[in-house]
Amino acid sequence: MTTAVATLNPPKSPGFWSEAWVRFRRHRLSTLALAYVTLLAVVAITAPAIVGTKPIICKFQGSIYFPALGYYNAGWENPVFRTAGVYPDYARELKNVDPDSWAVYPLVFQDPYHRIRKDERPGHPGNPWGVEGGPSLRNFFGTTNIGFDVFAQMVHGTQIAMSVGFVSMGIAAAIGIFVGALAGYFGGWTDMLLSRLIEVVMCIPTLVLILVLVAFLDNVTNWHLMAVIGCVRWTSIARLVRAEFIKLKEMEFVTAARAVGASPGRIMFRHMLRNALAPVLVPVSFGIASAILIEASLSFLGFGASPPNPSWGSLLQAGQNDIENMWWLIVFPGLAIFLTVLAFNLIGEGLQEATDPRLRQDSH
Amino acid sequence: MDAILRLSRPLLAPWICGLLLALGVAASSGCRPQPEPAADAAESAGEGDDGGESAATESAESEDAPWELGNALEPFDPPGMDQLDEAEWISRPVVASDQPLRLAKAAQPPPQLTAKEALKLRNDSPEANEKILSALSRLAPEDGSGVDFDAVIVRHVTGDIATSNPLLASSVTDAELADMTTFSPIAFDQDLQYFGPAERIVSWESSADGTMDRIVLRDDLTWSDGKPLTAWDVEFTFKLIMTDHPLLVIPSIRSDVEQMKAVVAYDARTVVFFHQEPSAITYKNISYPILPKHIYEKTLPEDPSMKRSEAHSKLEDHPVSCGPYELVSRKKNQEFVVRRREGWYMHEGRQVRPKPHFAEVRVKVIENLNTALLALRQGDIHSAELRAEHWTSQTNDERFYRLNTKVYGTEWTEFHFVWNQHTPYFSDPRVRWAMTYAFDYDELLNVICRGLYEQSVGNFHPKSWMFPKDGPAPVVQDIGRARQLLDEAGWVDSDGDGFRDKEVEIEEGGKKVRRRIPFEFTLMTYTSESGIQAATLMKECLDRIGVVCHVKPTEFSAMQEANLERKFDASMGGWGTGTDPDMNKNIFGTGSTRNYGNYSNERVDELFVQGRMEFDPEKRAAIYGEIHKQLWEDQPYTWLFYRSGFFAFNKKLRGYNFSPRGPLSFSPGFDGIYAADGGF
Repeated sequence: MTTAVATLNPPKSPGFWSEAWVRFRRHRLSTLALAYVTLLAVVAITAPAIVGTKPIICKFQGSIYFPALGYYNAGWENPVFRTAGVYPDYARELKNVDPDSWAVYPLVFQDPYHRIRKDERPGHPGNPWGVEGGPSLRNFFGTTNIGFDVFAQMVHGTQIAMSVGFVSMGIAAAIGIFVGALAGYFGGWTDMLLSRLIEVVMCIPTLVLILVLVAFLDNVTNWHLMAVIGCVRWTSIARLVRAEFIKLKEMEFVTAARAVGASPGRIMFRHMLRNALAPVLVPVSFGIASAILIEASLSFLGFGASPPNPSWGSLLQAGQNDIENMWWLIVFPGLAIFLTVLAFNLIGEGLQEATDPRLRQDSH
Repeated sequence: MDAILRLSRPLLAPWICGLLLALGVAASSGCRPQPEPAADAAESAGEGDDGGESAATESAESEDAPWELGNALEPFDPPGMDQLDEAEWISRPVVASDQPLRLAKAAQPPPQLTAKEALKLRNDSPEANEKILSALSRLAPEDGSGVDFDAVIVRHVTGDIATSNPLLASSVTDAELADMTTFSPIAFDQDLQYFGPAERIVSWESSADGTMDRIVLRDDLTWSDGKPLTAWDVEFTFKLIMTDHPLLVIPSIRSDVEQMKAVVAYDARTVVFFHQEPSAITYKNISYPILPKHIYEKTLPEDPSMKRSEAHSKLEDHPVSCGPYELVSRKKNQEFVVRRREGWYMHEGRQVRPKPHFAEVRVKVIENLNTALLALRQGDIHSAELRAEHWTSQTNDERFYRLNTKVYGTEWTEFHFVWNQHTPYFSDPRVRWAMTYAFDYDELLNVICRGLYEQSVGNFHPKSWMFPKDGPAPVVQDIGRARQLLDEAGWVDSDGDGFRDKEVEIEEGGKKVRRRIPFEFTLMTYTSESGIQAATLMKECLDRIGVVCHVKPTEFSAMQEANLERKFDASMGGWGTGTDPDMNKNIFGTGSTRNYGNYSNERVDELFVQGRMEFDPEKRAAIYGEIHKQLWEDQPYTWLFYRSGFFAFNKKLRGYNFSPRGPLSFSPGFDGIYAADGGF
């Protein structure tokens, strides 16, 4: 009897993804990189709570507000503060206007969008600027040549870097998978046309396209950059997916699905896609690294989002004007860009080794 | 601001003028004395087209219309020589180019230090600047002793020349080249007063009724091809400028020149200028550059554009010049070289003019100012204009002072934000005043401008003669007042989103409709760091009063285009001074070319006309003072600051002096600079 039960409930064999995860974790650098990226993601999401001049939460005239949300979107900051004359000097004016108010401020009182003036928070001496603005207890990473806090810009810049990387590659992956799947599954004329489309798009230089776009827009935001990068960088993903689909469509499970009358959409996206995803993650990971680099280079060249744009590239640009005296403008953002790009590349490499059977070290 | 700040300036030569420039600079000793758009160095790079007054006519004629010299002129029957002699003439001063400056310096107390002592100083205070400048600004002795005539100076510009033809010149650098290689018959000195340079003319007389000027040229002037320069060339060039042809585009010079009915050469040396109407400033009509008639009368019919034919291409690379220097080589976007022209100072075997101070002037194009600063430290270039942050932080150590020193001098150059009054936002003066009150001048002047500039209180510089005696006081940021003014103007937060809006009439699909629009506009600015910083500071300030401002850094030529087409909401800009305040009519007169913000005030228009007709200097000053006050009241601009000129010079250089247009753009300007014996 017991034997029979054992046969009916065999130990579950590890699935593809959990096996890949185990293999990924053997790659120590990649695991470290993943931890670093996770940390960055947390910093990005919580940036306004780490550094800012707007209270994370405050009670004002009897209600509870979250003014720091204004860092995500200006519209999320309750207009009551403007009407009451508190905005943007919460630290100074909140108590003046409503003595009963209380507020919890971010960990570091600095702002990525303006220089902290003297007594902006009672007792604050104001940020130094120029060569006086080296790293200090108030300005961990120093200040720029007009007194903006570098640490604040770096933390909020993480938000920009991460969102540019993930959103643009999200768009690219969506387009790439869709186009690649159609081309690979249907083959024939569809494949012919879509492949030519892919080739055409591959010829479009992303930087040039963005420069053109920037010239036309009055207010360039990082969302514009993400959209453009996403709409141009999907070709390698599409090619991989197409190749996978061409291979997969000959497999028995696809034939089976077709035999039971599943629609092409269902076969492609429900049955085949999950089997083709692994190879896609690799170019996505490298793509994120390159999107971050593109955004940084654009900001460095002055063609990024409209100012003020606290991105790592803008800081580098500010630094290049006085590289001999203001090393902190180069070192910190430079390191951040370098490490982040390296991390995504390491992750990509780890993923490749973990998911590509030909590269598996244990496959021999 | 450097961005604001730096600009390059042209030097001067006699005649070219300055055209545009980005910086306010430009003119030369004789040259066209227009106010120049100020830009920042980085931007001025090459482009400073003032676009303004183009001579291109919009005639619908086809491009192959025949060439008809002077077809834009009305027929004119010149009086005979004897009739002219009957008129009453007033002589104008004709002196050596450097004479006015020498006299002015002789009247000042002698420098406290020798050049050698001054070069040991660090320029860290106004007193030090004064000492260094007074010691090094001494001109070379008139006999030329102590000058290293074999020296080759390497100058710095931020943008390459677009053309070597002085009539086509449109950028700062074009003007700098023209200053060295061409000339016009008259020049202006450090105080922007006109005189006849004795190197070029024998006499200059104006008719008592103000309608004519008569100039007699020297008989020893030659073109670089050896042919004599004559009054016929002056007459020919006038006709050339006054020719309408669809292919011929002459930026900037024509608006002055067309104030004349005719220019007539009575013999090879005597030329008479007939003005359309008498005014206090007819002299500026005369200062246009001269082209050789014997060359262009043959090449123009074939190619009216002066750009396309083979002959014109050759002239572009090897122009026939009449100035102290001639262009000998040109490497695109790297450098151009001019060489001293023997034909300028020697005539028939004897020296007839002072020898130009440099054997060669190499002008290097270095767009990036940090690179230029490195080159300066290495001694690869010998002069450069500095930006505020360079002045304060990168030019204080031994690496800089080893080979160089630095000086500054007041310039009448102001920077501002222009408000386009044809937008729904800025037609109301209360709104413009609200913008002015909202701005944080302390932050701008102390942080962004490093405390180097003075706050601007309007169009004219407080040290200029046309500034009113009871001029306005600097504005102090007053957010409460700004809010109140916007409320009064009807810009209120009607939907409770924290941002202001108003119901205005706007055009939509050809129809006028009333619509509630948010106060959200785009502020165009220079792409230089300080240009962006100033605009971003405005954005920050406006955010406080519920106004949304998008900062759009725009490349200089695109900015100029948007300005000329009035396609912007607000824009940062700057103007250097012209030689006469009348030139600002072009900036504030109703419908004028450079009136980018569509400002219009009948009183100002009227005062400009009065000012032009008034001959009494005090009354003129009062009229322009009124204009200044009226402009201030109307606030077509939010004036930010006056920027002085900050320059680095190699220690071997001497003889630099500042005018309200910078150290180069007057007479003698660059011609006064020399390398001390021993060379570089």
